[in-house]
Amino acid sequence: MIDFDNVSKTYPNGTHALYNITLHVDKGEFVFIVGASGAGKSTFLKLIMNEEKPSSGEITINGKKCTKLKRREIPYLRRHMGIVFQDFRLIEKMTVFDNVAFAMRAVGENTVTIKKRVPYVLDLVGLKSKMKNRPNELSGGEQQRVSLARALVNNPEIIIADEPTGNVDPEMSHEIIELLNEINAKGTTVLVVTHEHDLVREFHQRVVTIDHGRIISDTKEGGSVIYTPEDARVSTDIDVDKILNDPQYPDNSVILPE
Amino acid sequence: MKGFGYLAKEGLKNVWSNRIMSIASICVVVSCLILTSAALLFSINVAKVVDSVGQSNETTVYLKNDVSELEAVYIGKDIQKISNVSSVTFLPKEDALENFKSQLGEDLFQQIDENGNPLPDAYVVAMDDLSLYEQTVKDIKAIDGVDSVNSRQDTARMLTNLSRIVNLVSIGVVIALVVISLFIIANTIRATMYSRRFEISIMKSVGATNAFVRMPFLVEGIVIGFISAIISTVGIALLYEGVMTAITNIIPFEFIPISQIILPVALAFIAAGVIIGMLGSTLSMRKYLKLEGNEILGW
Repeated sequence: MIDFDNVSKTYPNGTHALYNITLHVDKGEFVFIVGASGAGKSTFLKLIMNEEKPSSGEITINGKKCTKLKRREIPYLRRHMGIVFQDFRLIEKMTVFDNVAFAMRAVGENTVTIKKRVPYVLDLVGLKSKMKNRPNELSGGEQQRVSLARALVNNPEIIIADEPTGNVDPEMSHEIIELLNEINAKGTTVLVVTHEHDLVREFHQRVVTIDHGRIISDTKEGGSVIYTPEDARVSTDIDVDKILNDPQYPDNSVILPE
Repeated sequence: MKGFGYLAKEGLKNVWSNRIMSIASICVVVSCLILTSAALLFSINVAKVVDSVGQSNETTVYLKNDVSELEAVYIGKDIQKISNVSSVTFLPKEDALENFKSQLGEDLFQQIDENGNPLPDAYVVAMDDLSLYEQTVKDIKAIDGVDSVNSRQDTARMLTNLSRIVNLVSIGVVIALVVISLFIIANTIRATMYSRRFEISIMKSVGATNAFVRMPFLVEGIVIGFISAIISTVGIALLYEGVMTAITNIIPFEFIPISQIILPVALAFIAAGVIIGMLGSTLSMRKYLKLEGNEILGW
């Protein structure tokens, strides 16, 4: 489903965001991507979304090689993905219904389909009763569920959640991840970027840890769950210092963009 | 295109929600269209006048002021003797004054009546062959007692020159206004895009094509152009009637009636307005559509 083959990303201003990332996510998997801010998580998401091109290496999504993708093909690739943002990104002047319908209209769906599909998806996230409310009348958790409904509405094969619990209180956070779990159980691939270790601990799923632009641990590859680079430094399973100080990697002192 | 109705509606909404800028752009486009068409209509009318005047062979010969009536008769006979002259009609100064009075109103001439008529007697001369016009005028001028020769051909020449100047000036003005129109429409649309950047970023993240994102803004530009065209058509129709009636009060001539030209003018306005609108919005969108994700939001 998602394949990173030796991908590196260096921005035009010289900052190295990712080094030699190789990662394979199967269809139907649930993966947590964890790492401190500046670790390269955002760049990782931008590359999946095709907002940025890798400096080297190849990314394959749904069998499509991203470096070979033409500009006009990018929107069609994005229709296979649903994005959930940390800050919800709901349109304040629109009702819950319209916010979700907006994603369908943006890809040219007809009104009849929209009227059928939107209530169904809102029901899935438990917000059917709040269809006519506006985002500012909802709690943070509810807003995030609207955002999730919007990500789901075009029936994507992959859900990408960028810190979905960042602006939500702890009980709600659990609910959001639980919801993502349910969606995953129906066959959708789910990628959750987070730095909330408690949540990650709670759900026993694959965890990929990124630090300073490198994957330092992947539970699927036999690595242990590393919640922060600080945790990593005391972990006995992995010699992070060796990786970070290895002369074959570029200067570690560069500040990596979030 | 799927969802066109929705996009068109969004475009209309843009015009309204951004109405101050929309009105500003409409004003500039209207002035651009009206000035262009005013210059064009002016030269069309001048061309028509020049055409009819150039073909009329009437030439007015003014006599010197101190010429007596008897002398005038002799001068008339001398003119008749010139081979190219086909007919000669006497126009006494009293008649000339009456003509002016009827055209410009009595009041203006009260002073003139008291001080005596300053106008000279004149002959209206018709010619057989207009190609010999210059020579014939020379012959007439040679006659003793003839003060000056004034033909409507001179008027025609003058008008042609004037229309050439008007055309040159208006081309400059129009080019400037087209540039300003494009600039202001581009800015109007850029302002709308900025105010809707959030929606644009969401549209792009869910996989809306650029054509789809662009459509409401293109519609916005076209609507601004179209509204401008309608206002300009009404404006030019009113202006044209008014100005032409005023001009014909001073210089009587048959102008082209508005009913004959309004349709092509309206069509040209709509075409020009829509093209300016489309170009303006395309200009403003080109850079914007290349942005991705958070760049759209300026983060």
